[in-house]
Amino acid sequence: MPAKKIDKQDIFPKGSGKTYGLLELVDGESRIASKEPEDTVFCFPHLLTPIMMCTLVTTIVLVLVSLFFNAPLEEIANPVRPPNPAKAPWYFLGLQEMVSYDAFVGGVLFPVLFVLGLMAIPYLDRNPLGVGVWFSKTRPIAIKLFTIFVIINLVLIIIGTFLRGPNWAIYWPWEDQGGGH
Amino acid sequence: MENKNKFDLRETLSYFAFEVPVKLYRSIIRHGYPDSEKNKSLLIFTNFFLHILPVKVRKHTVKVRYSYCMGGITLLLFIILTITGGLLMFYYVPSTEKAYQNMKDLEFAVSFGVFLRNMHRWGAHGMVATVFLHMCRVFYTGAYKPPREFNWVIGVILLVSTLFLSFTGYLLPWDQLAFWAITVGATIASYAPMGDLQRFVLLGGNTVDQGALIRFYVAHVFLLPLVTTLLIGVHLWRVRKDGGMSGPPL
Ligand code: HEM
Repeated sequence: MPAKKIDKQDIFPKGSGKTYGLLELVDGESRIASKEPEDTVFCFPHLLTPIMMCTLVTTIVLVLVSLFFNAPLEEIANPVRPPNPAKAPWYFLGLQEMVSYDAFVGGVLFPVLFVLGLMAIPYLDRNPLGVGVWFSKTRPIAIKLFTIFVIINLVLIIIGTFLRGPNWAIYWPWEDQGGGH
Repeated sequence: MENKNKFDLRETLSYFAFEVPVKLYRSIIRHGYPDSEKNKSLLIFTNFFLHILPVKVRKHTVKVRYSYCMGGITLLLFIILTITGGLLMFYYVPSTEKAYQNMKDLEFAVSFGVFLRNMHRWGAHGMVATVFLHMCRVFYTGAYKPPREFNWVIGVILLVSTLFLSFTGYLLPWDQLAFWAITVGATIASYAPMGDLQRFVLLGGNTVDQGALIRFYVAHVFLLPLVTTLLIGVHLWRVRKDGGMSGPPL
């Protein structure tokens, strides 16, 4: 039997209403394509609606906060009149707090270890369980360790923001702490 | 027959009144009303701004109680900050002689100047908070596990660049708060190995002065936004390539 002559038309049919097509073959288990269609919903409107709501609420909250609270502006910078204490922005106060114990360890070593440690988490944690669930019971140690990390950060920031006064000494919030933050 | 090339007023008017608007609309929006599956798909992938989204997602993805939209809110705040920051640039000159006066002008002379500055300031604080909360969400839902390991690493870099964006912006008002916060920060940098050199590079001098102001300004309005924008692009692209937002195994 003579081989059927393949026409260009058979591969690229005319008038299919398609302008282009793109296919890619990859190894591995399919994540969405082969699953039951019941598990998926259209982004419009099921995802776009929450996104729009989120956008609206966030914008409204930010506008309201900006209408009622003014950003701080102190006197013009004066290099010969340092406030006591001089404080970094709040998210760096944990850092400043650590520096007050030891300049190198608190100011350089720990922050570098924090950042590298965070980056390493996915490669150190070999437990594959608990994806897609909040506080999965299958990974108690990881959750405890990370929670300790978060709490240490928050506690240091709170101490730095509310409990430090002149000469970086401990002051209670109701005492005069001098300076500003 | 003879009418064919003749100017027909009624026909012309009705063309401009009824056909042009439709043609204009069709040339921008290339799909019909999204009530069919085809049009719902076209709506997403024929739109430049939406085509980062898939046409369909797992039901799990649309549950607000899973991600609390924290990544999305961080992105939104970054966009708001870019817009308000761009407007602030019209009024701000990065000079130790002018900067503080510019802040006062924003307060007293520029229409909505205070509001603009407030949006930028509180938005920045908000972004630091939401990026941290987003990281916590990703951790507690185990969303950094394979195949999303490297997106977490990119995330950590984004966290650091967000902090630096905020820190460099802090100096710009050139008030006491700004000046001494940056002096403290730069002192911390000097504790590192070769610290004095590092501090010099950071400040463009030995003290916080004009050299530091212009460096922080350029970093704040150009270098860091550029890096952050690029990384956010890669970050979101990878969310798609890693199979969409994480969820429990099917
Ligand atoms: C400028 C900062 C950032 C922006 C704009 C951003 C944006 C986003 C967005 C929009 C998503 C989609 C899901 C969601 O909204 O939760 C996402 C997912 C993700 N982000 Fe971020 N992110 C940022 C920083 C971070 C940080 C600091 C980390 C971690 C250290 C991180 C790790 C991840 C991971 C692993 C995913 C995938 C999560 C999943 O599939 O469930 N991102 N990010």
